[in-house]
Amino acid sequence: MMALLSGLLSHAVLSGGVLALAALGEVIAERAGVVDLGVEGLMSVGAVIAVLMVNVVPDPWVGLLAAMVAGGFGAYLFSLAAVVLRANQVLCGVATTFLGIGLSAVMGRSVAGMPVPAIFQPIAIPGLSRLPLIGPAFFAQNLLVYLIFAILPVLAHVWLFRTRMGLDLRAVGENPAAADAVGIRVTRLRVLAVVAGGVLAGAAGADLTLAVVPVWSDGMVSGRGWIAVALVIFAGYRPGIAVLSGLLFGLVTAIGFMGQARGWPVAPAMLNTLPYLGTILCIIVPVVALPRLRRAMAAPASLGMPYHRSAR
Amino acid sequence: MSVHMTRLSIVPARRVAIGRALGLLVAVMIVGITLAAMGRPPLELLTLILRSTVGSRFGIEDLALFMTPLMLTGAAVWVGVRVGLWNIGAEGQFYAGAVAASAIGLFGTMPAIVEIPLMAVGGILAGMVWIALPAAARAWLGVSEIVTTLLLNFVASLIVFYLATGPWADHVTGALASTERLRVGLPEVWGAVHIGFFLSLLAVIALAAFLSRSRFGYESAVVGANPEAARYAGMAVSRNVLIVLLLSGGLAGLAGMIEVSGTVHRLQGGLANNYGYLGIVVAILARRSCLALIPAALLMGFILDTGIVLQTAQISASAVLAITGLVMMAIAVGDELSAYARPAIQPKTSGQTS
Repeated sequence: MMALLSGLLSHAVLSGGVLALAALGEVIAERAGVVDLGVEGLMSVGAVIAVLMVNVVPDPWVGLLAAMVAGGFGAYLFSLAAVVLRANQVLCGVATTFLGIGLSAVMGRSVAGMPVPAIFQPIAIPGLSRLPLIGPAFFAQNLLVYLIFAILPVLAHVWLFRTRMGLDLRAVGENPAAADAVGIRVTRLRVLAVVAGGVLAGAAGADLTLAVVPVWSDGMVSGRGWIAVALVIFAGYRPGIAVLSGLLFGLVTAIGFMGQARGWPVAPAMLNTLPYLGTILCIIVPVVALPRLRRAMAAPASLGMPYHRSAR
Repeated sequence: MSVHMTRLSIVPARRVAIGRALGLLVAVMIVGITLAAMGRPPLELLTLILRSTVGSRFGIEDLALFMTPLMLTGAAVWVGVRVGLWNIGAEGQFYAGAVAASAIGLFGTMPAIVEIPLMAVGGILAGMVWIALPAAARAWLGVSEIVTTLLLNFVASLIVFYLATGPWADHVTGALASTERLRVGLPEVWGAVHIGFFLSLLAVIALAAFLSRSRFGYESAVVGANPEAARYAGMAVSRNVLIVLLLSGGLAGLAGMIEVSGTVHRLQGGLANNYGYLGIVVAILARRSCLALIPAALLMGFILDTGIVLQTAQISASAVLAITGLVMMAIAVGDELSAYARPAIQPKTSGQTS
């Protein structure tokens, strides 16, 4: 029982990390006022590029780097249409998702279903990893997991809330006209935020294929990008909470796995609905309990709205 | 944009159409060049596409079948967007409607004349039930409907998968992840085009008339534009939000019912075929006009239909999906660029809002 719980917890942390990473990227883009619904597609591209790369250079870090470049490049193309040319963000986002899923399947044909030659190996932290139950789950993971849960959210938080650039970025998301009036380069910052988000989405894809499920198959991102977008809203556009919500989602998913392992008399497909229903409950219950939360978790005021200088 | 251009706040429909057509043309050229580089003759493919979509009876029938669910899911998203509500869950409500209709169609024992209307009502109600929780949470608690409706899509598709592989699985032909053929289906009117096409067309027209003429249409528009003003004018804001979202869910549910009983005839995994998400695209393409949902659904249907034609020409479904994405992106850009024009008067005097 203990071994099962510990194994599930570790898997929850590992798979929750993918969502956490993608959600963190989307937080940055949305804080600048851009809804990037292309996450699913960018993750797919990142996932396949990582696998293709490690087939050439068998080093997971090289794969990760390639995936980040690919994710950033894809997001840059999206931002050219949705930010620079100011086309409809939702439309361009869905288009990016289709483009990414389609291209990734075409590119990955040669490696589909084959074992990945190099993956991220767990590194146990001495001492802490011996703790019962939580030791293996939190302190015997690969380096990416430590980065995702301990370092990146802190960096993102400091960048967004403690630096001048972060302030500018958030200003652009709240009131681009005012930001423009004080000399902030609205378009440039928005493009930058979207590309940063895309880099993290690409990394999330690499995390998926180089650590969580080490094999490429068509459509393997299977909705994780969309869930990441949902978690951002759930997290009230805060980096720390976004990462935690990824973990939470992973945990609820693990409950479903436990049900399967323990032979609960419920169909697996029904158990798989748990994380989604759980997330919905987690969104609604706190608002019922604490109505004041509503304002604190509100979206950036200009989210999803292209900025036209002439309309100032 | 350059200083010589100004952005129109209201773009004439003709400009939008030209912008989209140019976007489409650019996308087609990119795809053509790519295909040529891969050793596929693009012009031959183009003739094949035109012949198999708008150039033949079967092509036009297929186009109508693609348009049918898109008009309704487009309408479902559009009624929300009109008042600033984003129902991203049309996919889930589509499944809910299909499940309810299939339950009646698989296990009902009444004659078709009774059962089909019952399936339609069941489909609409199921769509409404599926959006009820997000709608109530949005109306009274202010919980963003975007996440809750989106998450329920995954739940709905899992339930359909469960039903189609488990309790309702087809044991006669042993088809994978599919139920048996429903005992009743929508009557076909013109070749493979069933009555659902005309029903959907009628639904969009009726919706346009209803929203532009009824008290509810007016009140909900005010609530969408300025909730505070609406409250001040004595309108029930929460109730309006709830009703708009229920209407949205009902339309998507009806789309699911029509798809399962008219076109596919079986409840199966993947039945919704992204129609719910594409409904968002259709709604955005239609902009502020409800009737524009019809040409928008035609355009999207044409893109999907072209995709199927390309697949018959040995171009993989994944490549087709990528092409669809590219085309959508090009249309989105064309759409926006069509708003820019040389000013008739000097830009300084054209104080405008958008």
